[in-house]
Amino acid sequence: MSAGKILIVDDDPQIRRVMRSTLTAHGYEVNDARSGEEGLEELRNSSYDLVLLDMNMPGMGGLEACRTIRSSSEAAIIMLTVNNTEQQKVEALDAGADDYVTKPFSTPELLARIRASLRRLPQLPGQSDLQPLAAQGVNIDLSSREVGVHGRTARLTAREFGLLTYFLARPNKTITHRELLQAVWGPDYGDELEYLRVFVNRLRKKIEPDPSKPIFLVTDAWAGYRFHLPQ
Amino acid sequence: MTSVREVRVPESALVARVGKQVNPDSRKSRLPLRRNLQLILRVWAALAFIAATTFFLVRVVPVNDTTAGFLYLVAILVIATRGGLIESTIASFAAMLCFNFFFLPPVGALTIADPRNWIALFAFLATSLTASQLSVRAKRRAVEAEDRRGEVERLYALSRALLLMDTSHPIAKQIVQQIALSCEIPGVALYMRNTGEVHRVGLEDSEIEFSLREAAVRSSVLKDQEKNLIMTPIRLGGEPIGSLALNDGALSDAALQSLLNLVAIGLERANSQKAMTQAEVARQSEELKSTLLDAIAHEFKTPLTSIKAVTTDLLSGSPRPLEPHERELISIVDESTDRLSKLVSDAIQLARIEGGSFRLQLGVHFVHSLISTAIRQMKSVIDDRRIDVVVPDDLPPVRVDAGLIHVVLTHLLDNALKYSPPDNPITIGARLSEGEVVVYLADRGKGIAAEEQGQIFAKFYRGSNERHLQGTGMGLAIAREILRAHGEDIAVSSSPGQGSEFSFGLPIAPGGIPR
Repeated sequence: MSAGKILIVDDDPQIRRVMRSTLTAHGYEVNDARSGEEGLEELRNSSYDLVLLDMNMPGMGGLEACRTIRSSSEAAIIMLTVNNTEQQKVEALDAGADDYVTKPFSTPELLARIRASLRRLPQLPGQSDLQPLAAQGVNIDLSSREVGVHGRTARLTAREFGLLTYFLARPNKTITHRELLQAVWGPDYGDELEYLRVFVNRLRKKIEPDPSKPIFLVTDAWAGYRFHLPQ
Repeated sequence: MTSVREVRVPESALVARVGKQVNPDSRKSRLPLRRNLQLILRVWAALAFIAATTFFLVRVVPVNDTTAGFLYLVAILVIATRGGLIESTIASFAAMLCFNFFFLPPVGALTIADPRNWIALFAFLATSLTASQLSVRAKRRAVEAEDRRGEVERLYALSRALLLMDTSHPIAKQIVQQIALSCEIPGVALYMRNTGEVHRVGLEDSEIEFSLREAAVRSSVLKDQEKNLIMTPIRLGGEPIGSLALNDGALSDAALQSLLNLVAIGLERANSQKAMTQAEVARQSEELKSTLLDAIAHEFKTPLTSIKAVTTDLLSGSPRPLEPHERELISIVDESTDRLSKLVSDAIQLARIEGGSFRLQLGVHFVHSLISTAIRQMKSVIDDRRIDVVVPDDLPPVRVDAGLIHVVLTHLLDNALKYSPPDNPITIGARLSEGEVVVYLADRGKGIAAEEQGQIFAKFYRGSNERHLQGTGMGLAIAREILRAHGEDIAVSSSPGQGSEFSFGLPIAPGGIPR
């Protein structure tokens, strides 16, 4: 049995060749595409657990491809970028990527990121934890990962869902950045504050009645985040 | 068609040029003569009209003295509406004499028998003089109104033409042509103070350039009686930006002032459009440079990515551990890849910063978090080296581009790690000094010789004893450029054997008063 099905989308043939060879050797089932358009076509035809997506490609760029994939697929997305500026990283995460790796990267690092992205989700919260949320007009369907807020529905990605369930299992308690990153992304993480900023914002947009004035997912300045559940 | 000439005024004397079509001197001397002749003719015509009226009243239709007085008044009014004040006044006196001679008793003599008739005679004279004055004044008003209307029409035509000017061609030249065309002025010249150019239509006389420049520099109106020209400064916001010469008397003062305002606005509009175009070109070039650098970065990093992926995979020892000598060879490839990758990153960073193709994204940040982020970014290089961070809690926040300050700190940290022994700690700290936050980074390495301290910030400079260490020689140059973009600078203090300390200031965020 394969460790997971991965689609590589990169315009450089050598990179596709190396990735294909390395990932196959580590037990993954691998396919590749030369452009964003080809990648989207491939994703329509079969399902993948993870997409390795190059940021800088001719034609449809990586960011646009990422947004399009995110709107129709729940596969984990890892963006490969040349530029390691904060702005590019945030752009990648904002476009819906779960993680990013800066080129040139080391293979063990990439493998660790892939493993983290395909990791099982944390323990699901019980239905009783969700009742106070329902009382505030927020409905979460744990089986379909759908969230409804005042008639507006949105689907959570695996990583967003992982983050939300971790919060729900620890209501009204400040959780440090490091703890959140290690629990939801994996033990190799802990310093990537921009991940949390982007993902918490994404979650707020989906579960908060007014994302600019969060009532559930509150920031505890300099410490971390807290999920506020009305008793 | 009128020719337009453009001359750059040199600092030295200008070569005299003789005008071809117009000789203003001869025209000026002929003018008053013709005017005098016309006046004499008109006076004679008025006197002839009074004589004809008298003949008609005495010989053709004899009337009494009252009727004659009224008819003379009618004749004076006719003369006043047709002619000027001089002929109507002379005609009034002539009519009074005729009235007295032919109609007031004793008829045929310039004496008056009945004293009451003196009153009638003076009443007649006063009425005729007043009537002729009123009539002439009304006529002059009508002519003036007509002139104003003409001027307003011409100024309107000019303003429309100035609005529709083609800004891709020289504006000043077009303005001069439009003034000559719309206002029907035969000679116009425009001096531009910023370029020193003179644009002209008609006035082919080189000597006006001096007066034009003087009018602009002194910001005062100059008149050239000889050439019948008026030179007026063109001001914008009180500042003279040039001057305009045109035939004196071609426009009323008010119209001239409006014309000057129109020209000033037209020039200003053209200037601002030019500035906008230049800004747009600069923006596009900046964008192009940035795109080019991105493309270069991508092209270099892509093959490096493949190499790095292969070497790291082999070195990971999975699925088969490497033989010691294989490991050594692959390690060399791997390290060289890292070096090449760093070189490309630094070169592109330096090109981007030096080429000005970056904009500061200023934000309010705490020095402590800037330092801890930089340390986090360098985690893999720092390994287990000791780094002491000394930042007081009460430091005010700073206003900087956080991404770029991280670059400065990582380059300095990289240097400190490289140039100091592994077991010596590195200190990064910050303190408040003279209204700004000073960040310093100290190592306990070999230090930098005094004669080298001035050179280390130069591009590609490598310490004379440090050539064996890997490095691009760009780190400190990049750090300095970034700090200069913030309006700050970097300093080093070092003595051999004692280590080095690099320090730089960061501006305190507005409102971030030291507690």
